[in-house]
Amino acid sequence: MFCEKAVELIRELHRMTDGQLPAFNEDGLRQVLQEMEALYEQNQADVNEAKAEGRAELIPSIKLRHCCLLRNQRCLTAYLYDRLLRMRALRWEYGSVLPANVRFHMCAEEVQWFSQYKKSLASFMRSLGGGEGLDLTQDMKPPKSLYIEVRCLKDHGEFEIDDGTVILLKKNSQHFLPRWKCEQLIRQGVLEHVVS
Amino acid sequence: MFITDIRKDFYEVVANQRVALLVASDIDALCACKILQVLFHCDQVQYTLVPVTGWQDLSTAFLEHKEQFRYFVLINCGANVDLLEMLQPDDDSVFFICDTHRPVDVVNVYNDSQIKLLIKQDDDLGVPSYDDIFRDEDEGEGSDSGNESEEGSEPSGKRRRFDEGAVERRIERRRAKRDWEARRREILFDYEQYEYHGTSASIMFFELAWVLTKDTKDMLWWAVIGLTDQWVHDKITHMKYVTDIATMQRHVSRHNHRNEDEENSLSIDCMRISFEYDLRLTLYQHWSLYESICNSCYTSCNFKLWTLNGQKKLQEFLADMGLPLKQVRQKFHSMDMSIKENLRDVIEESSNKYGMKDIRIQTFGVHFGFKNRFLASDMVHATTALLESTEKDESASDNFIKALDSLSRSNLDRLHSGIDLAKKKLMAIQQTVASCICTNLIVSQGPFLYCYLMEGTPDVKLFSKPMALTLLCKYLLKAFVQSTRNKRCKLLPLVMAAPKDVEKGSVIVVGIPPESETSDKKNFFGRAFEKAAESTSSRTLHDNFDTSIITLKTEDRSKFLDALITLLS
Repeated sequence: MFCEKAVELIRELHRMTDGQLPAFNEDGLRQVLQEMEALYEQNQADVNEAKAEGRAELIPSIKLRHCCLLRNQRCLTAYLYDRLLRMRALRWEYGSVLPANVRFHMCAEEVQWFSQYKKSLASFMRSLGGGEGLDLTQDMKPPKSLYIEVRCLKDHGEFEIDDGTVILLKKNSQHFLPRWKCEQLIRQGVLEHVVS
Repeated sequence: MFITDIRKDFYEVVANQRVALLVASDIDALCACKILQVLFHCDQVQYTLVPVTGWQDLSTAFLEHKEQFRYFVLINCGANVDLLEMLQPDDDSVFFICDTHRPVDVVNVYNDSQIKLLIKQDDDLGVPSYDDIFRDEDEGEGSDSGNESEEGSEPSGKRRRFDEGAVERRIERRRAKRDWEARRREILFDYEQYEYHGTSASIMFFELAWVLTKDTKDMLWWAVIGLTDQWVHDKITHMKYVTDIATMQRHVSRHNHRNEDEENSLSIDCMRISFEYDLRLTLYQHWSLYESICNSCYTSCNFKLWTLNGQKKLQEFLADMGLPLKQVRQKFHSMDMSIKENLRDVIEESSNKYGMKDIRIQTFGVHFGFKNRFLASDMVHATTALLESTEKDESASDNFIKALDSLSRSNLDRLHSGIDLAKKKLMAIQQTVASCICTNLIVSQGPFLYCYLMEGTPDVKLFSKPMALTLLCKYLLKAFVQSTRNKRCKLLPLVMAAPKDVEKGSVIVVGIPPESETSDKKNFFGRAFEKAAESTSSRTLHDNFDTSIITLKTEDRSKFLDALITLLS
């Protein structure tokens, strides 16, 4: 059946919930493009034949192939666009350096797009706050306090904060630390925010 | 040294610094820690909280954190030992100690630079004066040799007389020094002989909050719980408890003064603390009345519920009050309203007839929301049960965190699980007391009574923890005093041993002072245990902050006991 490969690509993305980025399906893409090329060639041949010999019965198959081509195109652009949206969300969640396994899943053009996006986001953020810049990616909602209380869930060893002081993170110790320093560790599951 | 102005000398010093909080494992320390945490949150003081269970834990925690912190706050640990010698800190480390353990070590009192004591200088401290204990040694020697060299230049004719004078003076000085040292030893012995407890740490920190006008009802409630913990675990005298309750009552009325009239009444969800002259029945509002009467130390000992006679008396007592058995065995919440209304007065009247004059005690209760009503003693029992829970795979610091969480109002399910654990613990205590008395497990060894819990005893795992064992010890002594006819035995203290770790072959030993109406709760077993261990070279571990609780190897038990008997007779 035509267009099945393209829908396969879409299904692959749909299966990955939670904003994860699967590996770039180079093969699938190539197969779809090949299918589109094949369809297009067939269509070209049929159109020429229909025009030259006036065979009107070829028109439906030409129409069918044309619809398939449009469908393939739509699926492919949806696939590529959705991947871009996911990468954009990753920038806001993880910061400007993506984890290695995510970068592995991006193709060269996507990497290029990502660095361009990073640059434009950075220049925008720099322009805020009266020339000083404001990091918008830190807090999605305005924070209630500068410091939060965290509890250490596992032994993590020493941890350095901005002014150079070192804290020993031992299991079941509680600390009162600046919010921005803890977010990374909270995401990793080493610390737990204590709400009393 | 003692701090006089807690705001200036403690709070403002640490307000811009990073602080390490080392907190001992008892409820008073937990409450004090919560109060201090809230104050630090207000002023954004960065801190690190480390729970410690004994001296070894304290040293380890200090070693791990000494590079990163300059200021250490020790709660309910560290005052009764020479801290600088034990921890060997750098010269710029400063320790703020808020500890209820007395006597405060003299080195801690007289050190001006590194040790600051957040302790009230009450009358009951009795610290020996500086000159009686410390003295510059070089003065005597230096002046002596100086005189000699001067006199050496004198003509020889007079030399002999001067030499004799110098020799006499030297002998005199040496004798004075020996006398002084003997007197010093005596003074120190008297000072350090008895161990007792002072004002609760949570009250100290609450007063700090009050001075800073940052006190809230939550902090007041925690201070009340800290004080009640001292009373439940029998650490302070009744007089002191009543005095401290009066102080707390002033604060409670100040907080309740928030004009609750017809128009501006507070929402039912707000926290209200009230003074209650309530019954001494442990956890009775979360249990059935019958169970509570059976499992509270006061009623159980007065009725002698381990005997058949006692059971009959209890039935009479309930009949006397007109409470049907069916009602009394139901959960307290489901009892008829008509019975619950005058319950306290009815019980007080009847108990007076049965010789229980103090069935009611002054305490505080809190309620927030329609369902949540707790007395301070309920909270103490629940939190202690959580702190010393003997579930597998839970380390001491896990339990500490759970107990700390249960003190917040938002963790009610944890509190309720604590109440369930406390019920189990109380029932285990009562059963153990009953079996010990009925099987005459308590033996008089001469200067003290002794009881050993065998390994197969049901629930013996619960009693491998110090606070649970101490509670059992106290109930057992009260029950014994009620049940024995030997007048002399009633005045003896009790030493109790229970298996702590079967694999390592260790037992935990606890000593408590004798039971009396006017007991001053001063415990001499700390020093006695130390001396007995030394003299028999038994393998002991004096790790607990309370020196009257030690760990001992099972094999050394008998020789340790013999040494203790000889020491105390």
